[in-house]
Amino acid sequence: MYFSITFVSLFEISLNKDTNLRRMKNTLSILAVFLILTTLSSCGDDDTVTPPIAIDEPTSYAFARESSSTVSFSGQSTRIAMAEEMISALKNSTLTAAPLAAMFDHQEGESNFSTSDLNASSKNVKSKVAASTDFFASNTAGASAVKADFDKWIAAQANDVFPKWDADASKGVSGAIQEAGGGSTRYVNANGLEYDQAVAKSLIGGLMTDQILNNYLGTAVLDAGSNRSDQEAGTLVDGKSYAAMEHKWDEAYGYVYGASQDVANPNATIGADDSFLNKYIGRVEGDTDFAGIADDIFNAFKLGRAALVAGDYTIRDAQAAIIRQKISEVIAIRAVYYLQQGKLALEASTPDMAAAFHDLSEGFGFVYSLQFTRDPLTNEPFFSRSEVEGFLDTIYSTASGANGFWDVTSENLQSVSETIAADFGFTVDQAGS
Amino acid sequence: MFEKIVKMKKLIILFSFLSILMACGSDNDPEVSRDNFNRKVMLENWADNIIIPAYENMNTHVETMKVASNTFIETPNEGNLSSLRQAWLDSYMAWQSVDMFEIGRAEQITLRNFINVYPLDLEGMQQSLLAGNYDLSLINRQDEQGFSALDFLLYGLATSDAEIVAFYTDTVNGAKYKTYMSDVIDRMQILTGDVLSDWKSGYRETFISRDGSSGTESVNSLINDYVFYYEKYLRAGKIGIPAGVFSGGTLNDRVEARFRGDVSKVLFLNALDATQDFFNGIYFNGEGEGVSLNDYLNDLNSIKETEDLSTLINSQFDVIRNMAGNLSDNLGEQVGTNNMLMLETYDELQKSVVLMKVDMLQALNVKVDYVDADGD
Repeated sequence: MYFSITFVSLFEISLNKDTNLRRMKNTLSILAVFLILTTLSSCGDDDTVTPPIAIDEPTSYAFARESSSTVSFSGQSTRIAMAEEMISALKNSTLTAAPLAAMFDHQEGESNFSTSDLNASSKNVKSKVAASTDFFASNTAGASAVKADFDKWIAAQANDVFPKWDADASKGVSGAIQEAGGGSTRYVNANGLEYDQAVAKSLIGGLMTDQILNNYLGTAVLDAGSNRSDQEAGTLVDGKSYAAMEHKWDEAYGYVYGASQDVANPNATIGADDSFLNKYIGRVEGDTDFAGIADDIFNAFKLGRAALVAGDYTIRDAQAAIIRQKISEVIAIRAVYYLQQGKLALEASTPDMAAAFHDLSEGFGFVYSLQFTRDPLTNEPFFSRSEVEGFLDTIYSTASGANGFWDVTSENLQSVSETIAADFGFTVDQAGS
Repeated sequence: MFEKIVKMKKLIILFSFLSILMACGSDNDPEVSRDNFNRKVMLENWADNIIIPAYENMNTHVETMKVASNTFIETPNEGNLSSLRQAWLDSYMAWQSVDMFEIGRAEQITLRNFINVYPLDLEGMQQSLLAGNYDLSLINRQDEQGFSALDFLLYGLATSDAEIVAFYTDTVNGAKYKTYMSDVIDRMQILTGDVLSDWKSGYRETFISRDGSSGTESVNSLINDYVFYYEKYLRAGKIGIPAGVFSGGTLNDRVEARFRGDVSKVLFLNALDATQDFFNGIYFNGEGEGVSLNDYLNDLNSIKETEDLSTLINSQFDVIRNMAGNLSDNLGEQVGTNNMLMLETYDELQKSVVLMKVDMLQALNVKVDYVDADGD
């Protein structure tokens, strides 16, 4: 019974990529192996009928044990709130590098934030950047390189851009540059990059996506220690209302919906609840080419959680695969969207450079975030760190005197857009509008 | 089980074929002309009887304003200030009839962004003016020039006319104010003249010859510019933004000509009239009527719930005009005294967005070529 459900889930993934034959073939062969395996196992079990596992899936993300809610993700809500304050502070030119760094690497009791709850918290953002079990537990060098990128951008905002807040930016010179028609003023480095956008959009990958896809939804975390037997026996974590496994799943959920107005029915306000992953799931949902993705993600979280409670780990993991695919797509779609918007702005007869730089800075962060995506078919990121660095060198080159976004060409932006889109099986046009 | 795999494979192959077929279908989709409407005649009417005369009128008024400013700069007194103010208002009124036509050269140079950005960046402009090292061709400076800069220079420097004149006769900074005023008007004159001469030296022919029905041809482009203008600059810019529709509270400093004050309504009404006249193909000089969108819709027999769409659109323009009749001449004042009237006017303006952007564009088979900005 549950084989067919799992099968449908995988098939759905493949349908979304119907233009991508390479992936289709991969899916097909995986399906074939899967079916053969199930055939073999069902042959062996012919004589004994395994009763189907009943999954009690609620209509909203509400789960309880003996009428006491088991859902908890306060740590994720806290980190989202800290990240919000940090990206606001990156536009406060009266600050120096030290308080910004302290917000990123908050220590319990330090007054880095506007609320006493955040200041008292033992949580911080930096320790969870590039910190997933699957990708970084045995890759501390890689994790350290990612953290160093964030440290560098944050420090450079204070040291290179804040002192030039009231000066006009130009090629090779940091400062302020205003969008056309009396529009927003953007504050860029000497190469046209807004560090605050680079940080904010890279956090979507480095914090949220990495924690969700590569940490909490992985079997290494979900099934750690005695999690399965504790879940099945209803053994709670000391002093808590939840068992360990269900809590891990909820923590993944919290990085998407932890700031939602109604956390049990978050899609009513999807896109309006934070400045990070929630916001951009909402944006992609608003593109008719991808409408439905918000429900796909939410439903997978909900069904996976219900399956986990029922002890059906196959369905649980199939839902994790859907979430990995869809959240990765959100990152890729927005990366292409912003590169295309930037390209459009640069191609105008009277180019609105500030608008282009703003789009490209957001695109920079989404491209950076691609290294934290996860292809459920290979369990690798859709693009590795070195591939991502190659993209960034193409769209934001500072080699041999080039000035980043001031010198980027339409061809550069198009080629990176096409490479990203092709790997995911959507078109540049679909994502770009 | 093996059968299932084969079936699956077949299914996937079928899907692949279907998607290939579908993709081919849309790629090769010829430009289907659903109607035999003579677009060329409409384009000729637009160019010859509406757009070019409207730019000529604008250009004439800006030239007059230039002459008046020369007189004022040479002899700053209250009489010359008064003449210059009148020339400014005449030009501002003339602008309302061309603002919607941001196509061709106007689109290339982004005319609107250099002529009529408001609110003025007052602080930035004062810095530029006093420092004297400004470049008005920079996008950074778009909100420090045009009509709103002159609004400040003619009305906003002080409360009495004598005090305003004193800024220009001041021995320390008077020359800077004169130079800035002169530079702003020169730039308006150059840009307006540039667009007009482009229309008259070839673009008119290009515009009319591009009479096909695809998204890049003249009819589709100008209709998009028109609806975009209506939605963003007429509805939102002149009424919605000051009324606080897009923000937490009212913003009385976001009206057109805020320093003059009492002309924001008449500027709005002038724009509304021009917008309706264009829809009906009425000549700029008012002495005739040619083919336009109303005829196109009638030709297609476009009906919404048993009513002619063109009649509905015209009736709604009239409803808006009536509603706006209740407003104070000074819209900045209006949002402070009774913003409900502004919101009611906005609501009527919004109804036309649906009639034009949705119903009209569907009837004409025109695809919207702009998207609302991402907003972050």
